[in-house]
Amino acid sequence: MSDTHQPAAGPDQRATGPATAEDDIDDAAYRSGLPGPLGFVDRGIARLEAVILALGVLAMAVNTVANVVGRFVFGRSLYFAEEVNAALIVLITFAGISYAARHGRHIRMSAILDMLPVGPRKLAMIAISALTAALLFLLSWYALDYVMTQASRGRVLPALRIPQWWTLVWVPVGLFLTALQYALTALHNATHPGVWLSTGVKDGYAPAEPEDRP
Amino acid sequence: DTWRYAFEEALDEVQGVFAQKFKEEVEANSDHEVQLFPFGTLGESDNILEQTQSGILQFVNQSPGFTGALIPEAQVFLVPYLLPEDEQQLYSFFRDSEAINGIFPELYAEQGLELLTMYPEGEVMVTSNRPIAAPADFDDVKVRVMTNPLLVSSYQAFGATPTPLPWGEVYGGLQTGIIDGHENPAFFIESTRTFEVQEHITRLGHNNFTTALMANKDFFDGLSEEDQQLIRNATDAAFEHILEYQQGLTEASLEAIEAAKPSITVTTLSEEERAPFRATTEQVEATFLEIGGPRAQEVLDQMKADLEAAGS
Amino acid sequence: MTAAILGTMVVLLLLGFPMMVPLLIGAMVGFVGIFGGIGQLDTLVQQVIAGIQPASLIAVPMFIFAADLMTRGQSAARLIDLVMAFLGHVRGGLAISAAGACTMFGAVSGSTQATVVAVGGPLRPRLLKAGYSDKFTLALIINASDIAFLIPPSIGMIIYGVVSGTSISELFLAGIGPGLLILLLFSIYAYIYAVRHNVPTEPKASWSERGRALARALWPLGFPAIVIGGIYGGVFSPTEAAAACVLYALILEMVIFRDLTLKQLFATAKSTGLITAVVFILIGAGTAFSYIISFAQIPQAILGGIGIDEMGPYGVLFTIAIAFFIGCMFVDPIVVILILVPIFAPVVSASGLDPVLVGTLITLQVAIGSATPPFGCDIFTAIAVFKRPYWEVIRGTPPFIAILLFVSVLLIFFPQIALFLRDMAIS
Ligand code: NA
Ligand code: NA
Repeated sequence: MSDTHQPAAGPDQRATGPATAEDDIDDAAYRSGLPGPLGFVDRGIARLEAVILALGVLAMAVNTVANVVGRFVFGRSLYFAEEVNAALIVLITFAGISYAARHGRHIRMSAILDMLPVGPRKLAMIAISALTAALLFLLSWYALDYVMTQASRGRVLPALRIPQWWTLVWVPVGLFLTALQYALTALHNATHPGVWLSTGVKDGYAPAEPEDRP
Repeated sequence: DTWRYAFEEALDEVQGVFAQKFKEEVEANSDHEVQLFPFGTLGESDNILEQTQSGILQFVNQSPGFTGALIPEAQVFLVPYLLPEDEQQLYSFFRDSEAINGIFPELYAEQGLELLTMYPEGEVMVTSNRPIAAPADFDDVKVRVMTNPLLVSSYQAFGATPTPLPWGEVYGGLQTGIIDGHENPAFFIESTRTFEVQEHITRLGHNNFTTALMANKDFFDGLSEEDQQLIRNATDAAFEHILEYQQGLTEASLEAIEAAKPSITVTTLSEEERAPFRATTEQVEATFLEIGGPRAQEVLDQMKADLEAAGS
Repeated sequence: MTAAILGTMVVLLLLGFPMMVPLLIGAMVGFVGIFGGIGQLDTLVQQVIAGIQPASLIAVPMFIFAADLMTRGQSAARLIDLVMAFLGHVRGGLAISAAGACTMFGAVSGSTQATVVAVGGPLRPRLLKAGYSDKFTLALIINASDIAFLIPPSIGMIIYGVVSGTSISELFLAGIGPGLLILLLFSIYAYIYAVRHNVPTEPKASWSERGRALARALWPLGFPAIVIGGIYGGVFSPTEAAAACVLYALILEMVIFRDLTLKQLFATAKSTGLITAVVFILIGAGTAFSYIISFAQIPQAILGGIGIDEMGPYGVLFTIAIAFFIGCMFVDPIVVILILVPIFAPVVSASGLDPVLVGTLITLQVAIGSATPPFGCDIFTAIAVFKRPYWEVIRGTPPFIAILLFVSVLLIFFPQIALFLRDMAIS
C-alpha cells in the first residue's frame, strides 16, 4: 500500500486537536499531594485509575464489537453485552472523576473568577475546593449506603445473574478519592503561593510550567 | 397527606388508566392527595421500585418481568402458555389465585413491599415483517426481547433469534432491520407506533402481559385501619375498572392500527398452529425452575392449581 | 422551593464551582426542602448512576475514542484534505462543510455529543488555521451538531411520539424541512462571516491534486460508509457503528498506516476515558437535578398559573416553545419532553393543533436548549474535548441561537415548512 509511507500530518495541524500527544497526562510525572508513604499509596491509586480508564474504554469497544460479530457470524447476540457496558461506564466515570480532579480537568464556569486578582481568587479557590470536598465526602457516604442497601436487597443483573452491587463498588470509592483530591487542593492553595486547580496544576488554561510544581 | 405513585407507562396507557382510577378513588373518599409520576419522570422501572423500597414513593407499579431481578419467582409470568387465553378464565384467575394472594405477598414483603394487586395488561403479540404461522417461519427472525433469560429461552424454543436491544433503539432498529420484530400487547404496539415499521402482527396466544401494584410496606403498615381499607378499596375499584377497560381494548387497538396502516395483517393462529409453540413450554418451565429462586417449584405448582380452579 | 433550587444552582455555577457541584447541591436543596433532611440522599446517588447508564449513551465514548484515534493518526487529516481539495477555494467553504458534516454525522449517529467530538475534533484545528475565530468555530460545531435532533432518526421525536401518541414516521418527515432550513441559514451566516472577517481562501486545487487527495482518503472514507451505510442499512445500531469505527480506526492507524503505537493506543484510551468521565458525571448530576424538579412537580406548579387554556393556537404554540426552551436550558432534553408533553397534551388537543407540528416545534426547542447555557451536554463535551473555558465555548453562540429562534417563529406562522413533506407522503 503506497499510503503506508506517506509522511504523517505535520505537528502544526495537530497542535490544537482534541487529543494531542503533548496534552497527554504523564502518569510517571504525577506527584501526590499526600506526604510520605500515604503519597506512595496515592500515586499507586492514580496509576490504577489511569489503567481503569484505558482498559475500561478498550473493553467497552471489544464488548460492543463482539456483540455485532456474534449477531452476524453466529446468529446469537451476547445477551449480557448491555449489562457489561453499563458496568464499565460506571467504572470509567467514577475512576475518571478522581483522576480528573488530580489533574484539574473538571468542567467549571470560571468567567467571573478569572476576572479577580490573585488574592481573592486564591481565597475563592480554597472555599470552592473545601466545599466541593465536603459535598463529595458526604455523597461518598450515601453512595456507600446505597451500595450496601443494594447488596442487602439481593438485586441481580437479569442476564449475567450476578449481584448488581458488584458493578457499583467504585461509586463510593471514586467519590471519596475525588473528595480527598479537593481537600488536598484546598490545603495546597492555603500553603503554597499562587492559585491551584489541583495539587499539581496551576489555574489557567495553559498547562502549568514544570518549575511551578512542588 | 400527599402520596406519590409511579408507574412504567404513559398516563393514557393501561398502567396510567389504572393509576388515574386509583387516584380518583382515594381523593374522592379521603383528604389524601395522590401525585402520579408516569414513565421516565422519576427514572427507569428499577429506579422507581427502589425509591418505593426506600420510602420516597408510597406506591409503584412494576411488572413482574422487571421485578424478577429482585424476586426471581416473579418471572413465572414470563413462562409461555401458562396463563389462560380465555378472558373470563384469566380474570377469575387474577381475582382468586392463591399464588397471587398468598405466596407472592410474602415474597414481596421480604423486599419491604406490600403487594396490593396483580392485573393483566393485555395479550402479548409478535410483530414481524414476515408472516408467522409455524416455528420454521421464525427461522433467522431477530425478535427484540427484554434482557431476561426466560424470554430469551422462550424465543429460542420458538425457533427465533432473540435479540436484546435497548428500548430507545427499537423503533429505529425495526425501521433499518437490525431487528425484525418484537413482542408487546396491542395497546403498546399502537402507542409506541412500532406498527408503522412492521408488516405483520401475529397472535400466538402465548402470554398476557402481567403487572403489579405495590406499596412501601412500612408506610402501609403504619397507616390507620381506615386508610388501609381506603387503599384496598381504591385498588379493588381500579382493578375492576381496568378489567372492564380491557374488554375490547385489544380489539380497539388493533382496529386503530389497521386504520393507521391498512397494509398490516393481523393473524390469530389456530389451535393446530399453536400446538408446536405450546410444546416448548416444558423446556421454558425447566429454565424457570433453574433461575426462579427457592420457591420456584411451589409458585409454579400453585399457579397451575389456581388456573385449573379458574377454568372450572 | 423552585427559586431555592434554581437559585442555588445558578449562583454556585457562576462562582466557578466544578459544574457537578451546582447540580448536585441544587438537587440536595430540593431533597432537604421536601424531606426535611438529608436522609434520602442515597436516591440522589441512584439518580447519578441511572443517568449515565442508558445503553444509547455508550455511543458517546465509542465515537470519542474513534475520533481520537483518527485525529492522532492520519485518517482525519486525509478526510479534511479531501474536502479542502474540492471546497478550499470557496468563501466560507470549510465552515459550510463543517456545518454539513456535523448535521449529517449527528443525524445518523443520533448523538450530538459524539458529533462535537468526532466531527468538531478534527475540523476545529483546520478552521482555526484557515482564519476563523475560535468563538465562531466552537459555536458553529455545537449548534450544527444540534440540528441532528431534527433529522431522522431522532431520539427526541421518538420519545415525543410515544408520550403523545403521534406518528413517529410523520414526525421524522416533518423534521427534515426545518433541519435543512437551519443548515441553509447557518451556511449563509458562515459565508457572511467569512466575507466580513476576510477569511482567506486557498488556491483552487487542480483535478490531479483532487485525484491525489481522493486516493489518499480512500481508506478513511470507510468511516462515513460504516456510519451512514451501516446504520441506515440495518447492519449496526448507532452504538455498534461507533464501536465498529473504533475497530476500523485501529486497523487503519495501527496496521495499514502504521502511525500509532501500542503506547499511544493506551494514551488515547485513557484520554477518552477521562473526557467521558468529566462529561458523564455532569450527565449523572444533571439527571439527579432533573429528578428533583420532576419530583417536586415544579413545572406543573409554574404552568398551572399562566392560564394557557384561554390562549388561541398561536398563544399555545408560543407558550410551548418558551416552556421547552427554558426547560432545556436547565434540564436534560429527554426529561423535559417526558415531563412537559403530558402537561400540555390536553391544551394541544383542545386547541386543534396538529400534533406533528407541535412535536417538530418541541424538537427544535430541544435542539436549541442543548446548546444553550447553563446546562448543555454539548457545551460540556466541547469544554472537555477542546480544553477551552466555559465562557469561550458559549461566547459565539448568540447569532446561532438567533437563527434558531427565527426558525421557531417561522415554523409557528408557516407550519408548512415542517408539514409539506408529510402532506406529500400522505396524499
Ligand atoms: Na437524528
Ligand atoms: Na441547555
